[in-house]
Amino acid sequence: MNAKERLEKVIDNIEKVIIGKRDIAELSIVAMLSHGHVLLEDVPGVGKTMLVRALAKSVGADFKRIQFTPDLLPSDVIGVSIYNPKDMEFHFRPGPIMGNIILADEINRTSPKTQSSLLEAMEEASVTIDGVTMQIPKPFFVMATQNPIEYEGTYPLPEAQLDRFLLKIKMGYPSSREEMEVLNRAQVAAPIEELTSVISLEELLELQAQVRTIKVDETIRSYIVDLSRQTRQDAYVYLGVSPRGSIALMKASQAYALLKGRDYVTPDDVQYLAKFVFGHRIMLRSEARYDGITVEEITERILAKTHVPVQRFVGK
Amino acid sequence: MTSIRKNKFFMAILYILVFFMLAEWLTPVIVLTETGHQALFLIFIAGGLLMAFLRVPWWFSGPIKVLYILWFVVYVYTGNVFFTGEAIQFLQSNVSMNFSALISQNWEQTTDVFRTILFFVLLWMAIYLIHYWVSFRSSIFLFYILTVVFIAVLDTFSPYSGETAIVRIMIIGLLLAGLLYLVRWMESHQISEHADKVALFTVPLVLGIAVSTAFALYLPKSDPIWPDPVPFLTSFSGQGGPGSGGNVGRIGYGVDDSRLGGSFIGDDTPVFRAEVSEGQYWKVESKDTYTTKGWELTENVGESVIYRNNETVDTEFVLGEELETTVVSMEQEFPFVLYPYGTESFSMEESPEYQYSSADQRFETYQNGEELEPEEYEVSFAEPSYSLKTLRQTSEEELQELPMEFDRYVQLPDELPERVRDLAAEITANSETVYDQALAIERYFNTAEFTYSQTDIPIPKEDEDYVDQFLFETKRGYCDNFSTSMVVLLRSLDIPARWVKGFNEGELIDSQGETDIYEVTNNNAHSWVEAYMPGVGWMLFEPTIGFTGSSSIDFDLELDPTDPEQPDPQERPEAQEPESAEDEEVVVSSQTAFWNRLTDYISTNRWKLVWTFIVLGVIGAILFKIRHRWMPKFLISYYRMRGQEPVQFEKAYLRLLKQLELYGIHRKSGQTLKSYAAYIDSFFGTREMSELTAAYERMIYGGDAESIDWHELKESWENLINRTSG
Repeated sequence: MNAKERLEKVIDNIEKVIIGKRDIAELSIVAMLSHGHVLLEDVPGVGKTMLVRALAKSVGADFKRIQFTPDLLPSDVIGVSIYNPKDMEFHFRPGPIMGNIILADEINRTSPKTQSSLLEAMEEASVTIDGVTMQIPKPFFVMATQNPIEYEGTYPLPEAQLDRFLLKIKMGYPSSREEMEVLNRAQVAAPIEELTSVISLEELLELQAQVRTIKVDETIRSYIVDLSRQTRQDAYVYLGVSPRGSIALMKASQAYALLKGRDYVTPDDVQYLAKFVFGHRIMLRSEARYDGITVEEITERILAKTHVPVQRFVGK
Repeated sequence: MTSIRKNKFFMAILYILVFFMLAEWLTPVIVLTETGHQALFLIFIAGGLLMAFLRVPWWFSGPIKVLYILWFVVYVYTGNVFFTGEAIQFLQSNVSMNFSALISQNWEQTTDVFRTILFFVLLWMAIYLIHYWVSFRSSIFLFYILTVVFIAVLDTFSPYSGETAIVRIMIIGLLLAGLLYLVRWMESHQISEHADKVALFTVPLVLGIAVSTAFALYLPKSDPIWPDPVPFLTSFSGQGGPGSGGNVGRIGYGVDDSRLGGSFIGDDTPVFRAEVSEGQYWKVESKDTYTTKGWELTENVGESVIYRNNETVDTEFVLGEELETTVVSMEQEFPFVLYPYGTESFSMEESPEYQYSSADQRFETYQNGEELEPEEYEVSFAEPSYSLKTLRQTSEEELQELPMEFDRYVQLPDELPERVRDLAAEITANSETVYDQALAIERYFNTAEFTYSQTDIPIPKEDEDYVDQFLFETKRGYCDNFSTSMVVLLRSLDIPARWVKGFNEGELIDSQGETDIYEVTNNNAHSWVEAYMPGVGWMLFEPTIGFTGSSSIDFDLELDPTDPEQPDPQERPEAQEPESAEDEEVVVSSQTAFWNRLTDYISTNRWKLVWTFIVLGVIGAILFKIRHRWMPKFLISYYRMRGQEPVQFEKAYLRLLKQLELYGIHRKSGQTLKSYAAYIDSFFGTREMSELTAAYERMIYGGDAESIDWHELKESWENLINRTSG
């Protein structure tokens, strides 16, 4: 069974519980395959938690959930060392972060201090407590959700923190037909309970390794760089896409190509993923808000005007 | 990345061009210093460049060059082909001689051998410099400009003619500069050597140079707007005689005689060979109008007669008694026949029309209405012989009774200085008959203090008369000076005379029994005089000192043997003959004659040509405009002929993209091939574009060329490209 078939099975499995969100499932897998994390931005109740749980179950991964609240402390996330008077030593009690697939729910409801403890763990894939560094088991995949920042009582994530997420995805409401199907299934039983794993964790690690072998041609690399540079030059943009963003786009494209059963990246992969990679990495000037320009529009515009390489580089 | 410098073939071309460029430097130096052994110098340059090209280490190439120089010296100065004991001794003595001369600072005591070696060292340095420019700097522009300046200066101030050299240099230099620019460009853009890219640049480069060169050659050239600086400079520095200076031309047969004068250098390019029992003067044409600067032909006079093979022709000369046949083999192309005096008929294989024009007595050859350049022909002729008795009866009174058509042969310009007429009268004061007068003038140049010279001959200025200048001021010159002067002197006495151009007998190169073979070269281009003796007819006179042409005189008089007037054909001064017994005319070599004909053709057919260009241009524009209609047919057969390699698929696919663009389906800048292909397929109702695009993407982005089966895909491709012609 090749990579594509295996991954399709995972997606099919997720689709059993999440109706009509195949693209979201695909993107989640793309992020997971390229060692990235996902920021889901949407209102409550559209199935964010369900998506993560379905994903965790499908790959047989350890699923943990952290509900972020304003009073949550960093130790509640990463764990704490407790003094055991019996053997007179500190014992580490791991926090919920020490899992394979983490759902960080409503991440913008907690204080920046706690947010950053999560984000540091995401970046390093390890936590350090009292000078002891502990590796988080692999695979490690965080799916954070946040309410749209206009909601009251939120702490917006700083720009640098947002950069840590590979993709930012919006779930969106299902269509009426899909929603009826949701109701239909919910009436019988909670379908999530019936899900079984379709690939093992080892297979997932193997697929992650395979992503790195996907060929990114020089033309594609230059295309990615062109796109990133364009975001930095746009008049409406206050902060453009960083080189880390370029890397993210390349890695995500590689994973997406694997998902589509190709061993090379095409400009279509890049274009498709650019919207999700750039969305949270571009900060607009206030003029943009007055003119009603959104980040999505800026990205679209840059994609439309940046020349797609259709020929081999001279001298190859 | 492999640099284009690594391409041996490309670099070899550069070095070959450099060789030709250096040869252009060497040639004038060799010619002007009369050095000789040009081939051996060229071998040195070629060898030096070859070793530089092959990157032969210096410790190997250096000794080889030194050995070659020593061998050259030994070979040239002692005649030894090998290093014999004598040769070694020669070298040793030279070394010690020059060394002591140098030590004692007696520069003038250094020998030619030493100077030759110095010249070689100079060449060596030049080779190294050029090698450095080409191989490391990749820039030749400075050298190129210097070469042009060098040749231009030599052309202006020395007898060396850079006329064709400058064209060659321009072509070589532009090519070199262009190719070296390509090298620099490819390196600065880190483009590795790829035959396609190189061709993309070189083909337009070569075409551009070819077209511009052709254009430049075709177009008529205006005269220089600055006066020739040489006469000014020489007069300023007090060199040369009065009115001295002038252009240095190359010898040869020319058509434009409107401005005579100037110096010459020799040119021994063969013109023709003649098998004849005895050397003959070969007439081409005559001119009748003297303009104070040169000769022109009166327009619209005389008549044309057309003769065929073996038809008896009338050349206005009385035929002699002994008819003989000569075979003339041309080595240059002229659209006319050269003929000896007393010509009776012509014959050649092509059997052309010989159109004789009585205006200039030229036999032009035509075949099917087009000019024919004869290769070989036979002339039957009987050298005219004149009765001395009759000649002695030629009286001036008869001259008055000549018909109107002789008027143009006594024409003289109004500006002719009076002292010329006076001189004519003075020379002929004691002559009784017209023949005696002519003879006296012919001999005047032998008796007076005239010298034959090809160099430092002035061109008369605006207010000067060519003949006057020669007769009274310079008294030195070549055939044009002598012959023109004689015609003018004769005319001032009302004796009809004309100026004749052609070739003298040339050089005897072989003898087969009765028949001698003469080779006539450009050096033998000549001019002489024909004068009309009343009651006798036209007669040849040769005023130029050192030349042997004459009319054959029949001594039918019973004369007193002591009569000092007795003409003796033997008395012609052979001893005075200049070393190169030949004379010349202003240059028009056969090549320039070709260009002249071409410009003539262009000027006569100007409107035809303009219309042809317009029509061709319109057709070209239409074809270009509708190219998407016919291009697919062409492309299909083109790519059928091409191989099955994936790279051909790549090219074909890009071609298809262009065709679709022409067809009007525009791919936006940010549109990927896949989405474009999907659109194309929905537009045409096909799925071939997606199929081709998937393969193309696999090749370009996936780097997987092996899996491309162009043969399979070709049908889809042809199908699509055919649709674009709709």
